[in-house]
Amino acid sequence: MEPAKTYERPPLGTYLSTFWAMVRKELLVMVRYPVNFIASFGQIFLIVAIFTLAGSTFYRTDPGQAVGPNGGDFGSASGVVVYGFILFIFMSDTLWTIGYNVRHEQVQGTLEQLYLSPASKFASLVARVTNLLIWTGLVSIAGSALMALMIGELPIENPFLGLYLLAMSLAGTFGLGFSFAALTLRIKETAQTMANFLQFAFLILCAMFFPFSALPPFIRAISKVIPLAYAVDAFRSTLMGYPPGFPELAPIGFEIVVVTLFGLLMPVIGYFLYRRAEDHARRSGSLAEF
Amino acid sequence: MDYAQGSLGLKLSIVLASTRMRLINVSRYPGQLVLDIIIPIVFASMPILLGRAGAGPNASAVFEQNTGTSNYVAYMLIGASAFSIVSYAFWHMANWLRWEQETGTLEALYLTPTHRIWIAAGTALYSCLRGLFSAVTAYLLGSFILGVNPFQGDIALAFAFILVGLLPLYSLALLFGAVVLKVKEANALINLMQWVVTFLMGIFFPIAFFPPLIKVISLLFPPTWMTNGVRSALLGVGFFFGAWYKDLAVLWVFLLVAPFLGYWVFNRTEISIRRNEGMGQF
Repeated sequence: MEPAKTYERPPLGTYLSTFWAMVRKELLVMVRYPVNFIASFGQIFLIVAIFTLAGSTFYRTDPGQAVGPNGGDFGSASGVVVYGFILFIFMSDTLWTIGYNVRHEQVQGTLEQLYLSPASKFASLVARVTNLLIWTGLVSIAGSALMALMIGELPIENPFLGLYLLAMSLAGTFGLGFSFAALTLRIKETAQTMANFLQFAFLILCAMFFPFSALPPFIRAISKVIPLAYAVDAFRSTLMGYPPGFPELAPIGFEIVVVTLFGLLMPVIGYFLYRRAEDHARRSGSLAEF
Repeated sequence: MDYAQGSLGLKLSIVLASTRMRLINVSRYPGQLVLDIIIPIVFASMPILLGRAGAGPNASAVFEQNTGTSNYVAYMLIGASAFSIVSYAFWHMANWLRWEQETGTLEALYLTPTHRIWIAAGTALYSCLRGLFSAVTAYLLGSFILGVNPFQGDIALAFAFILVGLLPLYSLALLFGAVVLKVKEANALINLMQWVVTFLMGIFFPIAFFPPLIKVISLLFPPTWMTNGVRSALLGVGFFFGAWYKDLAVLWVFLLVAPFLGYWVFNRTEISIRRNEGMGQF
C-alpha cells in the first residue's frame, strides 16, 4: 500500500521563487498598461494643483499673483502638506492595491484558481507590496517635488530618523492593507465603498493635508487612538525639525514608540486576519462568490 | 419582435428596466449610499480645514476678495457636491461597458435585440438619480454640520443649472466611455478624466485663477458652467456673462450639441471594435 502523502512546509527557496514569480507577474501586468503609468502621474499633479489652488483662495491677496500663497505662511505649511501627502498616497494605494485587488481577482475569476495552486498565499500578498513600493514610491517622489515647487521650499531635518519613521509607518500601513484584504473577502462588493470611506476617514482623522490643530477637539480625541495619526505627526514633525507646536499629538519619544509598535505588530495582525478570512471563505465556499 | 425598431414606449421601458436593475443592485449596499453622502462633505472639509488652519481669522475676508463670497463653507460644499455628480457620471457611464466586459456579460448584451444606447440611457438615468441624491443630501447635511444656511439665494435657478447641465455632462461621459472601450485601461483613464474635469470646472476655486489658455479650455466643459451657475444662484459669486439667462443659454447650446457628438463618437468606436478585436476582449 502506498504511504499517505505528507505535505511538508516547502523550503525557503520555493517561497522565494514563488514570491519572485508573483512580483514578475504583477510587474508584467503593470507594464502592459502604460496608460496607467501616465494617468497616475497626471492624477497626482491634478490633485496637488486642486488643493494648492483651493488653499490659495485663502491666502492670495494679489489678483495677478501666480498659483501659490502670499507671504510665508502657506510656504511654511509645505512640510505639513507634502509629508502628509506621502503617507496619504501610500495608505490609499495600499488599500486599493493590496486590499481591493483581492476583490478584483474574485471578479475576474482568478482568485479561486490561485487558491487551487500550491503557491504560497503569503508570497502573493507580499508581491503586491513590492510593486506598490516601487510604483507608489516613484509617484510620491514626483508628487512631493511638484508640491514643493508649487507651495514652497521643503524642510528636511533629521533625515535618518525620518526614514526610520517612514519605514515603520509603511510597514504598519501594509498591515492595514492585509487587514483590509481580509475584510474584502468578507464584505465583497461593499469593499469598494469601504476603501473609499477608509481613505477619506484616514485623510481627516490623521490630518494628512493640514495640522491636527485644525481639527475640532472631539475629532482630535479620535485621532489620538489611531496609530497612523501618530505616524503622520511624528514623520512630518521630525522632518520639519520640530517647529513650535510640533509634534501635536504627544511628545516625540512617545510617538516613536507608537510608530515602532505599529510597524512591527500591524503586518503580523493583518496577515493573521487575512488567513482567518481566507480560511472562512474556503470553508464556506465563498472564495469565488462576488 | 424587433426591439431596435420598437415604439418609444418600448424604448422607454428598456431605459426604465435598466435603471431599475441598477437601483435594485445598489439598494443591496446601503452602506454605499451613506458613503455617497459622506464623501463630498469630507472632501469639502479638506480645503476648509486647510484654509482655517493657515489663514486664521482673515480666512473669510481673503476668500471673499478672491471668489466674490465670504461663505467659503457653502462654496466648497457646492464644489464637492458638483464633484460627486461629475464623478458618478464618469464612473457609471464610462465604466459601464468595461465592467460588463470584465464580468463577461458584454457579449451576451450584444446578442440581445436591444440597442445599447437605451441601456446606456438607463444607466445614465440611474447615475443621475444617485448623483443628485448624493449631491443634494451632502450639501444639506454638510451645511447643517458646518453651520451654514443651505437655503439661501435662488434655489430654483440653481436646480435649473444642474438639470440643464446634466445631459451635456452625460454625453461627455459617453464620449469618454468610447475612449475607455478603445484603450481598455478603464480605471486609470476614468480616474484621470474625473480629476481633469474636476480641476477644470474649478471645484474649490474660481477659474479666474487659471492662466488664459486653461481658462478657455475650462469654459468648453459644461460642468464649469453648471458649477458656477449654482454658486452664482446661491451665493452670488457672479455669472460668467453677467446675467443668469446668458450663462444658461450657453448650457443649452451644450445640451443641443453634446448628445449628438457623444453618440456619434460612441457609435463609431463600437463599430470599429466589433469589426476588429470584438467587444468581449479586455
